[in-house]
Amino acid sequence: MILLCAGQRDEQNFDALLTFAAALSDAGQEVVIDSRSMPEQVFKNQKYEAAPFLAEAADIDPTTVIVLGSQSIGEETQTLLRSLRLGPEVDLLLIGRFANYQDELTATNRIAFACGHAPRCVNLADFQPHPLLERARAPLAAPVSDAPKAPTVPGTKARVVVYLPPTLLENPSVLPQLNALGHLAGVDLHLLSNSKGKTHIRNSPYSAISVFSYGELPPRTLARQTDIAVFFGDAVPGERMAAFALDVMAAGKVVVDCTSDHAFITTGAPAVAGDPEPAALSAFLSGMVLELRDEIGRRALKNDWLAQFDIGVLLGRLGLEAAPERAATRGPHTLFFPTNGNGLGHAQRCALVAEAMPDHANPVFAAYPSCVDLLQSRGFSCQPMVSRSADHSDEYSGDLVNLLRLRAQLQPHDHLVFDGGYVFDSVYRTIAELQLKATWVRRGLWQAGQVHATALERERVFSQVIVPQEAFAELNTQYSFGPKLHQVGPIVAQSRLGADEARKMREAIANHFRQPCDTLVVTMLGGGVASNRASQIQLLASLMERRANTLHLVVAWPNAVIANGVYGWKNTKVVSTKQASRLAQAADLVVSAAGYNSFHELIYANAPTIFIPQYAPYLDDQEKRARAAHDRDIASLVLEHETVLLEREVAAFLDDGKGASLTTAFENASLPEPGNDQAAALIMSEAKS
Amino acid sequence: MTGATVSYILDPRFPGGTSSAVAAELEVMAQMAQLRVYAIETKMFKSREIAPQLQAAFNALDIEPIWNPKTISGDLVVFHNPSCLRFEEVFPAQIVARHLVVIEHENFVHPTGQDAFDAEHCHTLLARHAFVLDRTIAPISNWNRDTITRWQQNGPDRLTGWSMLSFDWFNICDFDMTPPTKAPQDRRGRHSRPGFDKFPALEVLEQCFPPSATCNLILGGDSFIDQDTTPAHWDLIPFRGMEVRKYLEVIDFMVYFTAQSFRESFGRVLAEGVAAGKIVITDSETARAFGPAVVACEPAEVDEVIASYIADPERYANDVRAAQTALTQYGPEPFRKAVNPLLVAAAPPAVAA
Repeated sequence: MILLCAGQRDEQNFDALLTFAAALSDAGQEVVIDSRSMPEQVFKNQKYEAAPFLAEAADIDPTTVIVLGSQSIGEETQTLLRSLRLGPEVDLLLIGRFANYQDELTATNRIAFACGHAPRCVNLADFQPHPLLERARAPLAAPVSDAPKAPTVPGTKARVVVYLPPTLLENPSVLPQLNALGHLAGVDLHLLSNSKGKTHIRNSPYSAISVFSYGELPPRTLARQTDIAVFFGDAVPGERMAAFALDVMAAGKVVVDCTSDHAFITTGAPAVAGDPEPAALSAFLSGMVLELRDEIGRRALKNDWLAQFDIGVLLGRLGLEAAPERAATRGPHTLFFPTNGNGLGHAQRCALVAEAMPDHANPVFAAYPSCVDLLQSRGFSCQPMVSRSADHSDEYSGDLVNLLRLRAQLQPHDHLVFDGGYVFDSVYRTIAELQLKATWVRRGLWQAGQVHATALERERVFSQVIVPQEAFAELNTQYSFGPKLHQVGPIVAQSRLGADEARKMREAIANHFRQPCDTLVVTMLGGGVASNRASQIQLLASLMERRANTLHLVVAWPNAVIANGVYGWKNTKVVSTKQASRLAQAADLVVSAAGYNSFHELIYANAPTIFIPQYAPYLDDQEKRARAAHDRDIASLVLEHETVLLEREVAAFLDDGKGASLTTAFENASLPEPGNDQAAALIMSEAKS
Repeated sequence: MTGATVSYILDPRFPGGTSSAVAAELEVMAQMAQLRVYAIETKMFKSREIAPQLQAAFNALDIEPIWNPKTISGDLVVFHNPSCLRFEEVFPAQIVARHLVVIEHENFVHPTGQDAFDAEHCHTLLARHAFVLDRTIAPISNWNRDTITRWQQNGPDRLTGWSMLSFDWFNICDFDMTPPTKAPQDRRGRHSRPGFDKFPALEVLEQCFPPSATCNLILGGDSFIDQDTTPAHWDLIPFRGMEVRKYLEVIDFMVYFTAQSFRESFGRVLAEGVAAGKIVITDSETARAFGPAVVACEPAEVDEVIASYIADPERYANDVRAAQTALTQYGPEPFRKAVNPLLVAAAPPAVAA
């Protein structure tokens, strides 16, 4: 185990630790960072990058300690190392860029005093005399490839990542010029800037351009997704970008140096000199780089400057052996991760797709606690994930744990299937960092304000997107385009309850509650979190109380908020069940929210339903969905404030035979084929690719 | 008075024992020669204040230091602690003198074998700027002399042109002697500046200051304050957070071990403890400079040593008194005797005659 420390405890040094930890880890070393190395302020992205490496002091038992940025060692670092009580058998290594012998001695003695024995000093100036950044805290190092790692494949686009300092974005002509570059044949354009620059682009008329902020992914991960990196600005823009550029070059890809003084090239780096004027980039790429990029990459790999930065050279200086590439410990598997949403919908949908996969596929799940029971009861192995909580220090603390759980569950040859609207950082990063095959199951019908570039930008890490269609054509809208997008029929449970089964179920319910059940009404109005449905449930309970031999079952989803008053009614019972769909099929009336799953299950089961849509900024457009059914006379629509209408509709179903009239409408309605099998086949095919 | 002019060069911002030693020396030297003090500002002590001991000495002797001079002259120029030049690229003044003596307050080599500082750089800087007849290195203790010799052996051309003083230019220990307590208790303490060099490994410190002791007072323990790993039974006071006199009043045993990779060049702090009437316990190498004045043992033996003294108060008192007597070898008079010939030799001939 290698313990990584930095000379000083501050944001820049911590960032350097993360970059170097990733480099060492990729080289097969087991690396930890003491959690006390974190500075006062740690940014969200840094926490995600740090999580796999952080360890508590009690769990740290290193064979080697490496101190970065050793040209300046502070007391906090000395205190930390002293507290670890490192024995003389622990190899202490200092990495720094030391200007003279005294600087080396100062560092050496500081660590020797803290640890009781002398460290070895590795002076970067001895073998990397001209780095991209003189002031870098982490040593720049990357595995220099023998041949270009991503040679041109005919018919595919080159992923061009253009770094822009925010100051350049102030020039109003820059974004239009770069946007035009995105239309160049053979270019898959992405911009790269700091968060200020990203916000600027997102708020501009060019918000559809793909943008990375430079802390969004580790440099090495970003480099894997890059074929050509272009840098504008006045200088090498910081340590992360230097590491990114080096990783690109070391993979035999192209760096175009458009900085005003050719800051990369003047160090000796094998970058291509470009014009500092963004307007010239399009012609430069199309006229030269795109065509010659493999050859440029090959020549870069033979460059002497680059050879100095090979991680093998650094490991040799440190006396560490390059570890062989980690072999997979098992065969590939497919892991489904449904988001929690506001019910069981995402988990239900994933389970339906997983059930449609062949037996040998053996998919597994990671899911939030509310869904674990459901998935396990259907025979799936399920890793519980951590839900968001107001008790956590950060709103994404739970997701940080989920990142670790996903990384522990997955290996690079695995396939991750994510079902949800917002792609969590844990999912985004795990896919990108482990280079997983990945499928995004993304149902549509977003509300108007939900359709924006930020919501869709993470699509770029998925190898395919499966969009389960809505039952009715006017509800289907395409939010993104391209060959990786696949539309499938509605994903819906297809088991239909026969008349005999329905009768038996009603008898069982009556026996269970020891009440006659001539009329069965089922209410499924959601968990009460997105929309408060207490008044509607109370109204329904009071209506049912007046009816003889009537049972009114209120389905409580996991984590549902049920008002105490509901428990006081004789004919109304609160039930928690995994059989809600079958229950609804046995009912004389269902009063339901109009989420994707409930809606399609009820429609495909021809259940007599009153839909009361839920409203929340993060929900899909339930009213639009319910209205589509209402307009076709296959269900009723009652809005949340329409209590009188609700009373009338209940009477219409239970007293006036409205349910029977729906049957004819169902017969005329043409519902599309369910897409369960198609989705399963797409996932299987991606897993095999 | 010898009639010689003695010029001191020092960065007066050095914290701790070195400044105390120089302050004591100035008082003695002022009775022997015409004194001048040249103060330089080195990067090593950037942003620090003048050490209070030195400021007090300047005030008492009515010395106005000459800051950052261009030229330094004197019959004898004494440069205290040349290791302070370690971060300098140039020495900013010219030294013109008959004899330049540099007092090596720092060891050249640590017990690990590692160079303590770039001594070659510091002395070369000085040599380049010194127009003098003689240049002499003055160790402050036997151990300090050993480290210089060892360092020289690692490079045959090291310190060419410098001679080594035949006697040790020791820290003057001119303390008032406090009688020992008649009823010693297990009240332990240590004091030093808070550097990591001054403190041993945690497990050693835990042995030296166990929960069984009535008092474990650590003055200068800044780096242990507010740390999760610090035992609750340690009473930690930051450096200069308490008067040394008051701290010494509440302990009976000074237990002083340093980092394994560091050794005191003189150990003035031990002398302070002895003078205050305490039994001083340290490792055998550090104890070398003081002979019978301090008790040498291993950290694991500290409890036993203390228990034996508590059980025998008479022995405690006798040993403290014997130690105080032994300490007189580092008094002003032996210093005067040792240094006087240098002053006489350096004095202008007419005056010397």
